[in-house]
Amino acid sequence: MHTEHSIETSAERQNRHKAMEAISVLNALKEDFKSPIHSMGYFYDLFEKVYCRHEPLHEGKAKIGTMCIQIPSEIIYALDAVPIRLCNGFYTDDEIGSDLLPQKSCPLVKATVGWFASDNFSDKPDITFSPTTCDQKTKAGTIIESFGHTVIDVGFPRTKESEESRHYWRESVKSFAVKLSKFQGKKLTRSNLESAIKKVGYAQSLYHKLTEFRKNKAVPILGVDMFLVTNAFFFDKIDAWIGAVEKLVAELEQRVSEGVNVAGKASPRIVYTGSPPIFPNYKIPLIIEQSDAIIVADETCSSNRMFNDMVAVDEWNLYDMIDSVSDKYLKACTCPIFTQNDDRIRRIIQLVRSYSADGVIYQAFAGCQVYEMEQRSVLAAMEREGIPTLYIESDYSPSQHGQLTTRVEAFIESLKNRKRMKR
Amino acid sequence: MRYFVGIDIGSTAIKISIADEDKNLVGHKISASGSMFYKYAQEALAELLRELGIDEKEVVYTVATGYGRKLFKEADENVSEITANAIGAQQAAKSYGNIKTIINIGGQDSKAISLDAEGNVVNFAMNDRCAAGTGKFLDVVAMNLEIGVDELSAYHFKSVGTPLSISSTCAVFAESEIIGLLGNNHSVEDIVSGVHYSIAKRIVKLVKRVGVKENVYFDGGPALNDGLVSAIENELGHKIFVPEYPQITTSYGAAVLACDAFLSESES
Amino acid sequence: MTKNKFTLRRAINNMNLVRFRFWFQIVAFVLIVYGGYVGLDLGDKLPTFACVYNGEGTGGKCYAGMLQHDLKHPIDMFMGYAGYAFLISLGMFMVWFWILNKGWCGFVCPLGTMQDWLTILREKTKIRYSEYSWANRGKIKSIKYILLILLLLLPVMIANSVFGLPKLPNGLSMPFCDICPGRMMIPAFTGHFNQFYIDFSSKTDLVMTTLGMIIVGLFLVGSFVKKRFFCYFCPMAALQHIFSKPALLKLYKDGAKCTKCGDCYRACDMDILEIADDVTSKNLVTEDCTLCLKCVAACPEEGCLEANFAGLSIFESTKEGFILRMAMDQHKENHAH
Repeated sequence: MHTEHSIETSAERQNRHKAMEAISVLNALKEDFKSPIHSMGYFYDLFEKVYCRHEPLHEGKAKIGTMCIQIPSEIIYALDAVPIRLCNGFYTDDEIGSDLLPQKSCPLVKATVGWFASDNFSDKPDITFSPTTCDQKTKAGTIIESFGHTVIDVGFPRTKESEESRHYWRESVKSFAVKLSKFQGKKLTRSNLESAIKKVGYAQSLYHKLTEFRKNKAVPILGVDMFLVTNAFFFDKIDAWIGAVEKLVAELEQRVSEGVNVAGKASPRIVYTGSPPIFPNYKIPLIIEQSDAIIVADETCSSNRMFNDMVAVDEWNLYDMIDSVSDKYLKACTCPIFTQNDDRIRRIIQLVRSYSADGVIYQAFAGCQVYEMEQRSVLAAMEREGIPTLYIESDYSPSQHGQLTTRVEAFIESLKNRKRMKR
Repeated sequence: MRYFVGIDIGSTAIKISIADEDKNLVGHKISASGSMFYKYAQEALAELLRELGIDEKEVVYTVATGYGRKLFKEADENVSEITANAIGAQQAAKSYGNIKTIINIGGQDSKAISLDAEGNVVNFAMNDRCAAGTGKFLDVVAMNLEIGVDELSAYHFKSVGTPLSISSTCAVFAESEIIGLLGNNHSVEDIVSGVHYSIAKRIVKLVKRVGVKENVYFDGGPALNDGLVSAIENELGHKIFVPEYPQITTSYGAAVLACDAFLSESES
Repeated sequence: MTKNKFTLRRAINNMNLVRFRFWFQIVAFVLIVYGGYVGLDLGDKLPTFACVYNGEGTGGKCYAGMLQHDLKHPIDMFMGYAGYAFLISLGMFMVWFWILNKGWCGFVCPLGTMQDWLTILREKTKIRYSEYSWANRGKIKSIKYILLILLLLLPVMIANSVFGLPKLPNGLSMPFCDICPGRMMIPAFTGHFNQFYIDFSSKTDLVMTTLGMIIVGLFLVGSFVKKRFFCYFCPMAALQHIFSKPALLKLYKDGAKCTKCGDCYRACDMDILEIADDVTSKNLVTEDCTLCLKCVAACPEEGCLEANFAGLSIFESTKEGFILRMAMDQHKENHAH
């Protein structure tokens, strides 16, 4: 019995591979844990829609691709466009990028470059802005341009303490605003920027509410679910995201009053930091939470950092609002591309204290020079503070699963032992 | 009339092909190997000859191949499956074109063979250590899903969701994964599709080791499964040729070899 | 998380500080500039500008005037009762000062209030404020100490021959009052514009009153373009800073909670870098600080900055307060996104 069938195009194959990666993570989130959250359904459906069925979300709107966290989304929203963070977590795209970048490169950059090379987007960016953060992201810009995309570099300083560097970034942002303005054919006004700042600020305030719940002894939401919610902000319609998170906050309040705990009583509380876990590369967070630990806080640019610092304006006029927006993205930024990293160390310690964490898991991508180099100072600081820390390297390939699981499980068991000893 | 017999004694099944002097396939038979495959092979051959109305004496040359070839002492010659498969493929696909790459998924192993322009084997790769990516795996899957192996194809094409990837590399562990998926109410269609893609990915990796060159030929029992064929084509990005009777390609090749051998001997 | 629980502490931490301070400053301004009309007299050792030239209206007098007067005594008198008078005045000043620390500058001082009003005017006209570069800011810090030294030294040199130098002319008797913009601006609010003049009677008077006119001009223009322009040069601030440590009202920072986001620095009228960049010190009342508490209101981290009175935290930074003050607590559907 012969069934007629046609062969997939390479774009279809790529989509299917990505869909398969995505669905397996989503299924793990939905099925592997106890006490599922009803409101998370919105997010599971959203990711399935975008990454499995490849449906576009932003038809008819200008889509502005951003290569890192530092491109101000407030300005993009003010100019009536949609910011889409392009940091990519797919192994499928990583493999494509592997042919185009040196072997030892960061998988995130490889995946992003691979994605652009395949030019297979459900919501294709009309223009992309790339801040000059780490070496690999910086050089990726021209490589991506060679595939026929428009990439604009936005100068980002490698130091942030000095007057010049702060001034430099403010000028960079102004220049970015001017270029985007021209591209959109719209002007930045007091009213639209104020609206955008307040809207993004409101979204951030919702995140703050969510994350407060994780300080409780009985944690009502998993770390992987939080990662999913924050990852959704990369590409979702902001109003829809806000609506969904409002419902999530309400449900979590309910769960807290009922004492619902998604972890076990003795589950060690973990602060997760390092190279950003971007959907579907949730390998390590999943391993952590499947090994009976709970991620209560994180210090990553794909999650906590997008929401932690809010724009503070003194005089609600255009000149001050733009500077406030610039400052937000630079001064508190803990990206390892900076020369000094004390802010990051202090932040991790503060998170450990305020979330009553038992340990820190510091994950660096193999090939991420800056996170790998920071390992020494961070680990030394953690040791001084008496905070048990695990350092692991990983990349996007599915083959390491066994080794990673062993290491993570051993660490979590040692944390459990410590807790028992303390009692 | 002179006839030539090719007998492929596999671990799962015995395949017999009979060719005439023009190397055309006259008849074939597939039967289970069982534990006493030597005895069953003889019985199967006798039965096939009876069905075709061919007298034993008309069989002038027999070539054995496959796992159990050396034990079939009645054969005039025995050859490796690689050689037999290569010849069988080229012969079976004569009208289609020049075969340069062969994918074979058997009951308990899988192979990839690369041929040069003249049809000689230049490279080959094999997975004979593990059941994952073989016919056995499909049997296990079908059993767990409580469907027939011959129904797998239909389920594959009915799948509308995303194929569910099976992450285990081992067939034994994959079984528990599948049971888990069923337990979480995932559809049989998506599971079947996922299994096919899991096998396809593995096979494509194997084939890429020998190099993919036009035209690609796919044989072995699992090649009857159109769903699997589609999955492999999608992973490969390439059309593949599946013969009418994919299980017997190797035995057919053995029969063709028998014909060549006899004719060259008689000329000398 | 107790959602709608009303507590006094929570209400205070969520308050709109800018509005609170605006009204507090108006009340203080009224008391200092018009209090005299209702018989209010807070004395003449106030740690804030309150002008003696305001005549009937003044509710008190600033210590700078008293100080200059106290020091204009020959040294032998100073060793006697004049010295005691000086110490008593100083003591009174310190007692007043220790209540609000530098908060006198941020919440009470009428000159400060005037500058804040000019800032509001500029903000309404959407003109950008100007900033000093960090290098320049460092350079001008010492000017207030120089003015303070002159304020202290000149009266002494009028009554005494210091290091064999001739005594200074009496026209310099209230040297700081001559150049203080308060002398011209505060009486103006009770309808007396007579202090805006140049005195040609003697060379000293000419120089000093001209300087005074220049300075009041600088005061008005400067504080229009630069927030609290005058406060950088204020000798009262210099004097207060010397006694600041034991004061009751303090600005405390918990550096561990600080993310160096710089929101406090952005809000600070005095552009004090340390408030943002210092994560080790506890007491952040620096020499330029006016304890206006704008930094506390602008800080988004829970419990990082706090206004502390005698060990009790009276106003601290909270996430909730920040969000409310930035009006980011609701979803407004003004723009379809």
